[in-house]
Amino acid sequence: MKDLVFIIAVKKDGQLKKEYEYSIKSWEYWCKKNDVELFLMEEPVTDMNDMHIIWQRYFLFDMLDHNEIEYNQILMVDADTIIHPDCPNFFNETDDKYCLIHDDGSYDWILRGMEHYKKYVFNDEWFDFWEYGNSGFQIVNKKHRPFFDKMREFYFEHKDIIQQIQSNWGIGTDQTPLNFMLRKHDIDINLMSYKYNMTCMPKKEILGDDHLYTKLGWIYHFNGIPDKNVNVPLLMEKSYNYLYGNLDD
Amino acid sequence: MKKNVVWWPAIVHKENAHKYGDYNYFEYTRKSWEYWCERNDVLFVPFTEPVEDDLFRFRPNWQKIIFVFDELDRLGIEYDQIFLADSSCMIKWDAPNIFELTDRKFVGWNDKDNMRWIYDSIQGYKSFFDGFELDQYSYISSGVIIFNETHREVIEGFKKLYLDNIDKFIDLQDNIVKKGTEQTPFNYWLQINKVELNLDLPTAFKLTHMHRKELFSHNWQDGDDKTPFFIKYGYNWVFNGIPKDDRSNLIKQTWDLVGNNYNMDTAKHDKILDEMLHKDTAKYTTSRKLKSDILKEFGNDKYKDKTIVEIGASQGHSTRMLSHIFKRVIAVEWDDWNLEQARNNNSDRDNVEFVKMDLYYDRWEDHLPDDVDVVFIDAGHEYHQVKMDIENSLKRFNNPILVFDDYGLPPGEVKKAIDEKIEDGVLKFHKFIGEKSEDLISQSGTKFFDMEGCICNFG
Repeated sequence: MKDLVFIIAVKKDGQLKKEYEYSIKSWEYWCKKNDVELFLMEEPVTDMNDMHIIWQRYFLFDMLDHNEIEYNQILMVDADTIIHPDCPNFFNETDDKYCLIHDDGSYDWILRGMEHYKKYVFNDEWFDFWEYGNSGFQIVNKKHRPFFDKMREFYFEHKDIIQQIQSNWGIGTDQTPLNFMLRKHDIDINLMSYKYNMTCMPKKEILGDDHLYTKLGWIYHFNGIPDKNVNVPLLMEKSYNYLYGNLDD
Repeated sequence: MKKNVVWWPAIVHKENAHKYGDYNYFEYTRKSWEYWCERNDVLFVPFTEPVEDDLFRFRPNWQKIIFVFDELDRLGIEYDQIFLADSSCMIKWDAPNIFELTDRKFVGWNDKDNMRWIYDSIQGYKSFFDGFELDQYSYISSGVIIFNETHREVIEGFKKLYLDNIDKFIDLQDNIVKKGTEQTPFNYWLQINKVELNLDLPTAFKLTHMHRKELFSHNWQDGDDKTPFFIKYGYNWVFNGIPKDDRSNLIKQTWDLVGNNYNMDTAKHDKILDEMLHKDTAKYTTSRKLKSDILKEFGNDKYKDKTIVEIGASQGHSTRMLSHIFKRVIAVEWDDWNLEQARNNNSDRDNVEFVKMDLYYDRWEDHLPDDVDVVFIDAGHEYHQVKMDIENSLKRFNNPILVFDDYGLPPGEVKKAIDEKIEDGVLKFHKFIGEKSEDLISQSGTKFFDMEGCICNFG
């Protein structure tokens, strides 16, 4: 049984975003090199107006069953990431736990989100912000399947308020509720090193033409970037070419 | 006896004073640490006079670490763990006692604020350290660290390294690398010497580069709470990574917001008082001020072996406070639900006994021992009930001190009963305690007309 990488790659108007193609190509390379399966979610499970596509990743285990795919551990990773071709096999560092990476970006965004969900959804429950994980990199295994069921149940039970919070306050989709739910259901979490999910790189001043970030870690998450519709495709293309240009040749 | 120490480097470098807003911020950050140390029984040791007067060759940032043990020895301080906290740090009044979290290892926090600056600094010093491969994910800020005697040798070694290479280091920091002073060399030294680091303590103790993390913000989308996030959720606010001449202004603004929490007069007792509810949020209990006054009056060696009976424990908030003063606390309550809450609120206190009895029908000698030194009376508030409580206390116990809650409670039956006993010479008035009438609202919503409480037969 292989480990597996899962990426949402649903096309919009028949077209996959250009930057996602770079992401997927980098992951294809790494998976092949490390004998890991790559699974692309190319079709939504349900109507995206009813459930944002990001929330649909919690159908993961059902999708894999439906496609008769055997698996060991699974990384669910966002499509705005690029992995270094020499990235070590992080599946060996999980301790079989639910793995996330602390989100060390904008605490204004994170704490506003935590306060909104605390007040409107989670009955004043709270947890320490320094243990808040980014949902763009989650490693799970079979024992987490019941938790994924809980995540979907939670979504459908609270759909209206979740959609209201998402649209009114722009504080993301599943990430903050996921963090609350993990605590609520006592899931054992392993917060892995930032080098495996390098979020908000501009804040750390490492995202430049010298590609310094490639010397400081392995998986580059192109979020927290100003003017993202213009900059993210450009930066990911540059990053891909820098890391894989010679390899492709 | 050895004590934990906060080592607070605050040397004024006159030539740089203009850059640092004349170091006006020292006043506020110092007060925060003095309060926190008092509250947590930690020794505050300011480092304000340099060991070496030549601040060009011996920058304050070098002196704070290479001379720390020399200075503690010179001052005759018996130290346990040492928390080096830069003068740009302000500690939150109720931050937990960090010394209890260290596992007695060398504590630092991985610095990931400006990773480019750190990377460049590491590269800049690499050749000096013979090409040593420093792990940037173990790179720590040198302005917030905790260590102990077992680290003396490695820090003395660092001093020797500096003294042997002082000109080279000055050249590196001023002309070649230009990325900081002692921080990167110190990181090399720790890693080369394989010092075991504890990097796992909460980030809340090292909130550096707060503007970069957007921690000066508040929840501007919902509600009226404009408290900045760093105050709400942080423990140690490090005002760095901002223009140095803004530091004094920002720290003063912060002090203006929160300075009222740092009251040295109550510091020793504030930690205890934070464990329980008070009248401001739970009308059925006493005020924080009343509990604080009782702590001040009785929180000394004279009472630590004494016994107190609390007549009317309610949900056990005052009980908990009393358990920090007296050897034995006997808490009397009639209502089952209250008793259950009181037990829950004191479940971790091993010197509290709960007694269920009806004070006005049961015989006191059937339920209470006679070797009681102090009685805290806060049960029935009708005239005849208070009168009975006083008479039963004086009859059952040997000349006890009596502490009363709700003296000024309307319509005045508590006051009437106490005043009569004072007039009759049965009680000797000692002092009022707690809030003044104008600051007090009773459980039923009416205003008090006199002080919250009083103490009689004291001494």
